[in-house]
Amino acid sequence: MTKYKVQNTNYINMKKKSFIVTGFAILAVAFFAFMPAPKKITVKGSDTMVILAQKWAEVYMKSHPEVTLQVTGGGSGTGISALINGSTDICNASRPMKQSEIDKLKERYGSLGVEIRCAKDGITVYVNESNPVKELTLKQLSGIFSGKIRNWKEVGGPDAQIKLYGRENSSGTYVFFQENVVKGDYAASCQTLPGTAAVVNAVKNDKYGIGYGGAAYAKGVKDCLVKKDEKTPGYAATAETIKNGTYPISRYLYIYLRNRPTGELKSYIDWILGPEGQKLVVEQGYFPVK
Amino acid sequence: MHMKKLTFFTLSAGLLMMLAMINPAKGQSGTDTLAPQVSTLRDKISGVEDRLATAEADLAKLTKIKLSGYIQAQWQHFEGANIYPSNYFSVRRARVKIAYEPSKGVAFVLQPDFQPGNFVVKEAYTRLNEPWLKTFSLWVGKFNRPNYEVEYSSSDLEALERSRMITTLYPGEYAIGAKLEVAPQKIPLKFQLALFNGNDSQVYPDATGVNQNAKDNTDFDNYKDLMARLTYAFKLGHWGGLTIGTHGYFGGVRAVSDTLLKSDYSKNKSVAVGSKLNRNWVGVEAQFYVDFLGGLVVKGEYIMGVNAFPGYNSTTSTTSFTSSVNTTKDTVTQTYTTLKTTSIAPNIQRNFSGYYVYLIKNIGKRNQFTIRYDKFDPNTKLSGGDLGVASYNASSTTTTTVKNTFGTSPNVLVNKEVNTTKVNNSLTSGLADLAYSQITLAWSYYFDDNIKISLAYDIPMNEKAGTAGKVMSGNYSAPGGTPTKLDYSNMIHQNVLTLRFQAKF
Repeated sequence: MTKYKVQNTNYINMKKKSFIVTGFAILAVAFFAFMPAPKKITVKGSDTMVILAQKWAEVYMKSHPEVTLQVTGGGSGTGISALINGSTDICNASRPMKQSEIDKLKERYGSLGVEIRCAKDGITVYVNESNPVKELTLKQLSGIFSGKIRNWKEVGGPDAQIKLYGRENSSGTYVFFQENVVKGDYAASCQTLPGTAAVVNAVKNDKYGIGYGGAAYAKGVKDCLVKKDEKTPGYAATAETIKNGTYPISRYLYIYLRNRPTGELKSYIDWILGPEGQKLVVEQGYFPVK
Repeated sequence: MHMKKLTFFTLSAGLLMMLAMINPAKGQSGTDTLAPQVSTLRDKISGVEDRLATAEADLAKLTKIKLSGYIQAQWQHFEGANIYPSNYFSVRRARVKIAYEPSKGVAFVLQPDFQPGNFVVKEAYTRLNEPWLKTFSLWVGKFNRPNYEVEYSSSDLEALERSRMITTLYPGEYAIGAKLEVAPQKIPLKFQLALFNGNDSQVYPDATGVNQNAKDNTDFDNYKDLMARLTYAFKLGHWGGLTIGTHGYFGGVRAVSDTLLKSDYSKNKSVAVGSKLNRNWVGVEAQFYVDFLGGLVVKGEYIMGVNAFPGYNSTTSTTSFTSSVNTTKDTVTQTYTTLKTTSIAPNIQRNFSGYYVYLIKNIGKRNQFTIRYDKFDPNTKLSGGDLGVASYNASSTTTTTVKNTFGTSPNVLVNKEVNTTKVNNSLTSGLADLAYSQITLAWSYYFDDNIKISLAYDIPMNEKAGTAGKVMSGNYSAPGGTPTKLDYSNMIHQNVLTLRFQAKF
């Protein structure tokens, strides 16, 4: 009888210890799993959107000093990769996510991601201010950037070779312009540059240069009017032409998140889509979503 | 881009230095003196530009090579009595994927697995993407069979291993053949149509247990197997999405013996050796993604059909000679004994079904919890009580004796030939028909972009097999090599704990 009691007490002690160890293990897991996220929000992606994103962050942090927003560019593809591998909270993209990218997000997070249209942009075609060419059709632009049209003479300009400036393939603008204008491969002679500002600068310094990028950057260069076809008039990217759809190369700018936002992230996104955030969209040369 | 900046900087610095070297104090006319020097500089810049173009071209070639891969090292503890050693470290995967894209739309992919002691080329294929619609692609070589869990990379598997159904139907995951893939850019639809040898990594043992299908790079027969898979992804607004799909396998394997059994081990029909035994099945799949406090996934697949297994047919012959002398009768008897043994296993087609269901919850960026239940019944026509009982037996033994006597008494020579033909032609239900289900609990912690640490516990549950009078058992060697038996009339405890460390790049 006594022996049984001793055994029983040992058993109970062991059981208690097991419960304590298991309890600690569960608490440790829960601690790591549910650890509250710090109020630092990282933003990465589209170079087209980087100035806008920096402005949003700057103004938001003034009114919300408890929040730190860290904004970097790198291109839409880079931002989406960062969203997938968890190194950014917000991805800015000037193109929609591809199915293959959504699939990666599904595999890693069990989520299709959240797409938020935060602004509209017209992709502007820049030519040097001295260039007499004022307007080009989508077909001519396709010919120029695919390398089929090589001389300005073929589109009503001087007898000079066309110099092409474009973006790197990680850029959403590169992809959008390729899919909607070039509709094929870019010419091998198209010089790739690491940002829209660099494209604008190159065209500014090259009499026979032509480039493309966000409307907000077109300073020191001439906006080339874009015609849908020969019969339609040429349009510049303005709030009105983008809103009424007459400018042929307009697009949405996106914010992508892994999951539906909560807490501080939600407040920030709501603010971007609200009057203050959309006012900054206009101030930076883009167009509001509503 | 860094290279360009560096070159620009170098050129600018060089120019400044050269300009500094021009000494106007020598009193020469500025324009006359500068002209040849500017010309020289132009030539030099032009030379640098040429070199830069060459360097850029070389760099562009390098960017066409893409390297990725992962290493999985793990410690496992096996609770089963039949596994010794019961715990060990192992390298599950050590893979490097090399993709070379010489031009847009063309890719060569090679994926070796450097698992210690077992170097294997897992993937080796060429992919051609059609450049106009960007919808069609043609794959030729060795690549994944079109199935959801097969195509889901081992590095992403939430339950650490694929379900028993998939590893049984598609052993080794990869197969040699050709595939047409249709994936329109604007429509979330994917269709795959593939033609394979069909017997890749299948094990068809002969009478001595040696695999008759041991050659990895050729086919076991002339029959090619067709696989098709179609999926469509729906978006469910802000909540998530649903992907549904179906796949089918339509193939065959050659008969090695002349009898074909049904799933219940009764004779179906006689078949010609070399004729086609159908292996046909279809499956449905669904993956439901919902954004509920982070990603929540419910996904599953169900497959049913008929799988075929070739038997074997081999003959051995032994001859022995004895002689005896009867001194009383003055006779000599010479006996030639020939024993011809034919070992036959009939071919069999088994009806099967199986499924798996996952529930996966992501918490934050780093934690993922998974529960999976999977079941695979390789023979739906036999219940547990039939296992070890249902059998086919057409064995026979025939003996003929030919006797020749030479001479007359007293000197007689007897020449006797004894020919015995033994045919072992039987098959009894057993472990190949045993159904299993399994619960897997797993937790993965994503340490950073490259490192994942996972802990999983597998609880397999076998079908209780055999009747009271006939217990089905399986052999195994206990530590020290002692032959022992596992009693499958009970649930056999064979849980596995896995702690895995994965590095992916």
